[in-house]
Amino acid sequence: MRKMRKIYCLYIIVIAILSSCEKDSNSRSSSGGTGVGGSLTKFTISGNYLYAVSSHYLYTVDISNPANPVRTSESELSFDMETIYPFKNSLFVGSKTGLYVYSLDTPSKPKLIGEAKHGRSCDPVIANDSVSYSTLKGNTSCGPATSGLYVYDVRNLNAPELKTTIPINEPIGLGMADSALYVCCAGEGLKMYSIKNPYAPVERKLFTGYHFIDVIPYDNLLICWTEEGIVLYDITDRLLPVFIKKIDN
Amino acid sequence: MHISRYLLLLTIPVLLQSCWKYRNGGDYIDSQKKEWGYKPVYGTETEAKNILYSPVAEPVINGGNIYAYHDFIFQMETGRGIHVIDNSNSAAATRIGFITVKGCSQISVKDGKIYTNSYDDLVVLGFSSVDKVEVISRLQGVFTEYRYDSPLAQPPGNGYYECPVYDRFVTGWVRDSVYQNCYKN
Repeated sequence: MRKMRKIYCLYIIVIAILSSCEKDSNSRSSSGGTGVGGSLTKFTISGNYLYAVSSHYLYTVDISNPANPVRTSESELSFDMETIYPFKNSLFVGSKTGLYVYSLDTPSKPKLIGEAKHGRSCDPVIANDSVSYSTLKGNTSCGPATSGLYVYDVRNLNAPELKTTIPINEPIGLGMADSALYVCCAGEGLKMYSIKNPYAPVERKLFTGYHFIDVIPYDNLLICWTEEGIVLYDITDRLLPVFIKKIDN
Repeated sequence: MHISRYLLLLTIPVLLQSCWKYRNGGDYIDSQKKEWGYKPVYGTETEAKNILYSPVAEPVINGGNIYAYHDFIFQMETGRGIHVIDNSNSAAATRIGFITVKGCSQISVKDGKIYTNSYDDLVVLGFSSVDKVEVISRLQGVFTEYRYDSPLAQPPGNGYYECPVYDRFVTGWVRDSVYQNCYKN
């Protein structure tokens, strides 16, 4: 009976994903819509709702009337939440103990549907239909897990499956654009991977010279938050970023 | 008999004292010793919650989250406000203004409206044009945990600091001689 219910849930989720038309506006030319945040954010908007995380809470605020926002839920959770990332009908929450997937079938009240636990660490996360990338920083106050890039198969949102890990000393924020994945590695630089095979990223290039913290791929622009300022690259060719400009602090 | 009961009554609060801990992520230490550290600066609620736009670039001191929206890039100045960057021509992208929002750390934008946090409040700002930023609404106390976890709840640097009082609004931190009561590492 429980198994039946699980299968039924999965079926609903798959239908929901397939039928979802809501897409994060990734274009600077469109009018209105939402923008794009970095992977370290604790705020995100999906549809008419703003979702925010603090260490132990996930807050949902109905913003259909911006002059009168209304909080629709505040769920207390036991894990230390760090970041939030929306994709279609789901929220991916990175925490110090694992990766959590929330369904937005009832957008006013997100529901926990899947999780993949790992050792204690810090953990921003990004995702698309089939894969989720997460960086864990283990060798800090965050915990003893192995530092690196963690690749999850999320085709079944109820059971994200760890496919591979790539050791990186001090990874922080990350972003992807089509076949490229960009991972900030603090003082070591910005690592670029080809993700033509999404479950087996191949390192292609390292950009050095700045302490990279987080990135936003935005159309053909890669916006990098570094300790030295905001650095912009042209990524018309996703795997061949070209430096444009640094906005000094 | 009476004396031992009296002693027991005295002992309980002493035992419980070790459970008192400030909920700010830092460690509370009971100490009468003074040390060079950080001291909170308090403001009135009006000062703390005043939102102001200035069309002048400010330096980035404690840069935080970034956000891209159309021809703009926003960067949080953690605890103090939001830098506005004109990105209409990326080769000449530059900071053009600063929105003062005390106690902020997060940002999201939809339909020309900025959603950010100010202490534990949600603030919705309109920026219909570059030089016009207005407060559309403020939902008080919505992010309960940010009250203790806001970027201004702890000093910008590590070391000893005077534990802030949370029913008041911390608007900044200064270096001063403080009791070794709270520690950030």
